[in-house]
Amino acid sequence: MLIIFWLTAFELNLLPSYILPSPFMVGERLHELWVDGYFLPSLAASLRRMAAGFACSVCIGLMFGLAMGTNRMLNECLKSFFLGLQTLPTVAWVPISLLIFGLKERGIYFVIVMSSTPAIAISTADGIAGIPTLYLRAAQTLGTPPYAMGWRVIFPAALPRIVTGIKLGWTLGWHGAVSAELIKASLGLGFLLHMGRELNDMPQVIGIMIVTILFGVLLDRFLFGAIEKRIQRRWGLASNH
Amino acid sequence: MAPDTPNPSPEVLSLEQPVPPAKVSLLSATKAFATYKGIVEALQPVTMEVREGEFLVLVGPSGCGKSTLLNLIAGFEFPTGGMVLVDGKTVSGPGFDRMVMFQEHALFPWLNVIDNVIFGLKRKKRLSSSDRREVARYYLNLVHLGKFETAYIHELSGGMKQRVALARALAPNPRILLMDEPFGGLDALTRERLYGQAQEIFARTRKTIVFVTHNVREAACLGDRVLIFTSRPGRIKREITINLPRPRGFYDPNVSRFAGQILAELKTELAEEEGVESHESSSHGHPVLPVADYFLADGI
Repeated sequence: MLIIFWLTAFELNLLPSYILPSPFMVGERLHELWVDGYFLPSLAASLRRMAAGFACSVCIGLMFGLAMGTNRMLNECLKSFFLGLQTLPTVAWVPISLLIFGLKERGIYFVIVMSSTPAIAISTADGIAGIPTLYLRAAQTLGTPPYAMGWRVIFPAALPRIVTGIKLGWTLGWHGAVSAELIKASLGLGFLLHMGRELNDMPQVIGIMIVTILFGVLLDRFLFGAIEKRIQRRWGLASNH
Repeated sequence: MAPDTPNPSPEVLSLEQPVPPAKVSLLSATKAFATYKGIVEALQPVTMEVREGEFLVLVGPSGCGKSTLLNLIAGFEFPTGGMVLVDGKTVSGPGFDRMVMFQEHALFPWLNVIDNVIFGLKRKKRLSSSDRREVARYYLNLVHLGKFETAYIHELSGGMKQRVALARALAPNPRILLMDEPFGGLDALTRERLYGQAQEIFARTRKTIVFVTHNVREAACLGDRVLIFTSRPGRIKREITINLPRPRGFYDPNVSRFAGQILAELKTELAEEEGVESHESSSHGHPVLPVADYFLADGI
């Protein structure tokens, strides 16, 4: 549907072709990038950074979330802090990362972690704080020792909220990764975007944008979305179709 | 029998026979809560005993502290004064020997039916996981839910959920079962069926049970002994022993008679409360007939 609109707009010459290239030009450019051996390594680099950075943020976010969810005082102190961080656009982390890390790879990880951790920490904390006392009491009376509480009750009970946070964190982290790559990477989707701009190559810019959206959505739907669906079905939270 | 085991002397036997030992005892236990309005006394000094194997029912209007009392025995809360003893030892927290069944089913939605029942068996380290599964199956069959072991909790009806909760509470074989209006949220038909099943199961397992309800017929149908509570602050008003044979039908005339007796006690209690209030409010108006007289005149 969108492509048809796009094609007609192009054929009608609404905008000059250096601003609005045809879908075929975009496809051709992507193909060229593929053949030249730029595309795959860039995509792989972005995904690899994302995987490592995001794994870090999940760990950090879960730890903060657990601490905040079980300790009211800590929650009071840290929650507004994290909420504040969350309102910060992910690109805003790029300058500070440049100042701290220079043009090093670590700087990109830093941006990813700072972008996605707050969302994960906040939902984890909310999820844990929202566990009904009834579950905890039931588990206690069923003889769950305190050290097993976290794994057997607190984590699974908070899981729906945690997964929501992780999904949101993924999207934010993906934003962060591409923004950081725009400025400091020598490989990656963001770098290809940057190159497209430098060379005035509109087909490449649009092509890479599409790929970025595609992979963001793909992982969101098929990885985290699938996990979320599974949990909802099990809990009976999903609306009946 | 081994011939060389010394027989206990007859004196000891005769001492042990007449009164079964107290499984749970409260010694002038009190509970007060601090709220922003001040200190609220939930429970006035309560002294009571629950004997081994006894089915004790606590009845009273809402807010009479009967749930608080149950929480004290369960170890979720601690008395402000006095003592709560189980097997002669002070309660220091929730324990494996006292299983609690809540008004809401409290089943874990992330586990399926059988895993919910197995949850309480995790503590038994000597059991292998297949043993645990077998024990869980046995108790699910006991509540007639053997076919639903792989169902998720949200797929069950309210009555089925409470039956799973009952199976989960029974599976670890606790000596004491504490039940806080476990059938309160169910419809009448489901409830009646559960009373039958529950009596059958309790007769078979012979546990010490403390059961909280505000349903007088439920109390008369299930209890060996019924304690009637007054409200705000709660204390024991009367004790009624129900010496009817079991199993008892829910609409058995004898059960109805006891239910009526409990109801009458509760009504006088309510009436006294209202009577006090109306005296206060009519201090400068017409004399008001105490409401208690109305209830008593009805001869309920």
